[in-house]
Amino acid sequence: MPALLLTLLKFIFIAFIYIFVWQVARAIGQHVGTGETGRRRKPSNQVVIVKSETQAGMDIAVRDAVVLGRSPEADIVLEDPYASEFHMRLVRQDGGILLHDLGSTNGTYVNGRRVGAPIALNKGDAIQIGKTIMEVQ
Amino acid sequence: MTRNAEAALLVGAAAVAAFGVALVNLARGDGIDAQVALTFVVMLTSFGGFHLAVRQWSPEASPFLLPLAAIITAVGFVEVYRLDQGRASLQRWWLLIAALLAVALLFTVRQTGLAPLRRYRYVLLLAGLLLLLLPLLPTDWAFPLRGFEQNGSRLWIRLEIGPLRLQFQPGEIAKLILAAFLASYLSERQAVLAAHTRPLGRYRLPELRQLAPLVIAWAASFVVLVYQRDLGASLLLFALFIAMLYAATGRAVYLASGGVLFGAGAVIAWSSLSHVQRRVTAWLDPFADFIDTGYQIAQSLFAFGSGSLSGSGLGLGAPDRIPNATTDFIFAAVGEELGLAGSVGIIATFGLLVAVGFGISLRSRDTFRKLLAGGLAFVLGLQTFLILAGVMRLLPLTGITLPFMSYGGSSLVANFLLLALLARISHEERA
Repeated sequence: MPALLLTLLKFIFIAFIYIFVWQVARAIGQHVGTGETGRRRKPSNQVVIVKSETQAGMDIAVRDAVVLGRSPEADIVLEDPYASEFHMRLVRQDGGILLHDLGSTNGTYVNGRRVGAPIALNKGDAIQIGKTIMEVQ
Repeated sequence: MTRNAEAALLVGAAAVAAFGVALVNLARGDGIDAQVALTFVVMLTSFGGFHLAVRQWSPEASPFLLPLAAIITAVGFVEVYRLDQGRASLQRWWLLIAALLAVALLFTVRQTGLAPLRRYRYVLLLAGLLLLLLPLLPTDWAFPLRGFEQNGSRLWIRLEIGPLRLQFQPGEIAKLILAAFLASYLSERQAVLAAHTRPLGRYRLPELRQLAPLVIAWAASFVVLVYQRDLGASLLLFALFIAMLYAATGRAVYLASGGVLFGAGAVIAWSSLSHVQRRVTAWLDPFADFIDTGYQIAQSLFAFGSGSLSGSGLGLGAPDRIPNATTDFIFAAVGEELGLAGSVGIIATFGLLVAVGFGISLRSRDTFRKLLAGGLAFVLGLQTFLILAGVMRLLPLTGITLPFMSYGGSSLVANFLLLALLARISHEERA
């Protein structure tokens, strides 16, 4: 077997490995891509917990209305000792989300300001309850 | 990526393995023989079977796991074949057995899911510790299950009934079982572990008794280090524990105290255990004692060096000069015959596989599954890193197998089961 041919075949073998891995990597890229853009195309219909001792990364989809609080009866149970039993309500309205504080003891903060009257949320707003921080996406 | 694209890639990986075997045959000057076809069929049967089982019982599973593992397995198999044909034909059997066990696992959990793993956590803990300690069984007693020593480490058991002799490294499976235990234990205790704190100036420290499990894990991995003289398993277990504790609580204090414990353990081990000293000396200067302790690492460095940019070509190098080239040092053989180009391709593939594992963990909403996927991905990544770093003299050699590439049944079985678990977790999260 001539050495030149073997060298050529060696490069083909290495090229196969790269082509293979490239195919998978591209598919992973597309998968991640569609996952992200698919979520973000619709204007703010979900809230994600970004900082919490136990619940970071949890998505909260807001279809009609969800109540968040420490009570097991709440739609979304917040594992945060500073949250009230029924702390706040997120309501879907006119394609956006409206936040009602349900008279919580320690308050709900949107971008650092305590919420009094119901407030409309915008994409990127930060909601804080106790030590839990959520982001509107 | 669709399931069909996944299947096509698996066929591609089997073809790469067959092509590699054909290249080895050509380099030797033999004609292309039946080994090529046999390799193709075995690769296709094992990964194809696994793939069909995923389609059937975990249809929503991530489609990226199998192709990435398959291409790594393919290249590893070609090098094992190039180094030792006898071991290669055994490796083919192990591939089939490993795939069969992975299929069996997917079948068993098809309805219950992974809930039993979460429920029977103390059974898992017991089983994991037993498996870990099994090699300490006496070598010469009447009971057919015996532990024995190989290359200075006691991490094997041998089952001998009449003519049947089966050897196994139980520690490989133990690490999966302990990861499942930790995921279950921590998913329940995480709030407690994260919350109870004692203020110290501007820092908040966990209660002392919360650190007890940490100390126990540290002691257990030290026992493995001292009595089984297994650096790799000891380090893997401890690091797995710290990583999962950190993932569950998000408390850097666990990382810090784990690091301190590790440092203390490393110093004690280095100053009092001769087998650790030998590894460190060989790492610092392999050429000082080239003939004896440094020989293996020196040969490995020669292999990488002579491999240069694109390697000598399959079957054209001399990786058979490295002791244990088919197991721990398989990557040095890849480095010699496929060069920097091939090695970087393989490292990138491992990187993608670990990233897919962490991706599954990040997307999981359920804490148990999140921690289990994270722990499995971590252990796969760390094991790969440790042995690659050891072979390349970045770190002292720890003597563990390179997942999916090294020759060896225990390692293949354990890593196929790891894949099956990750596939199942990703299925449960999407379904």
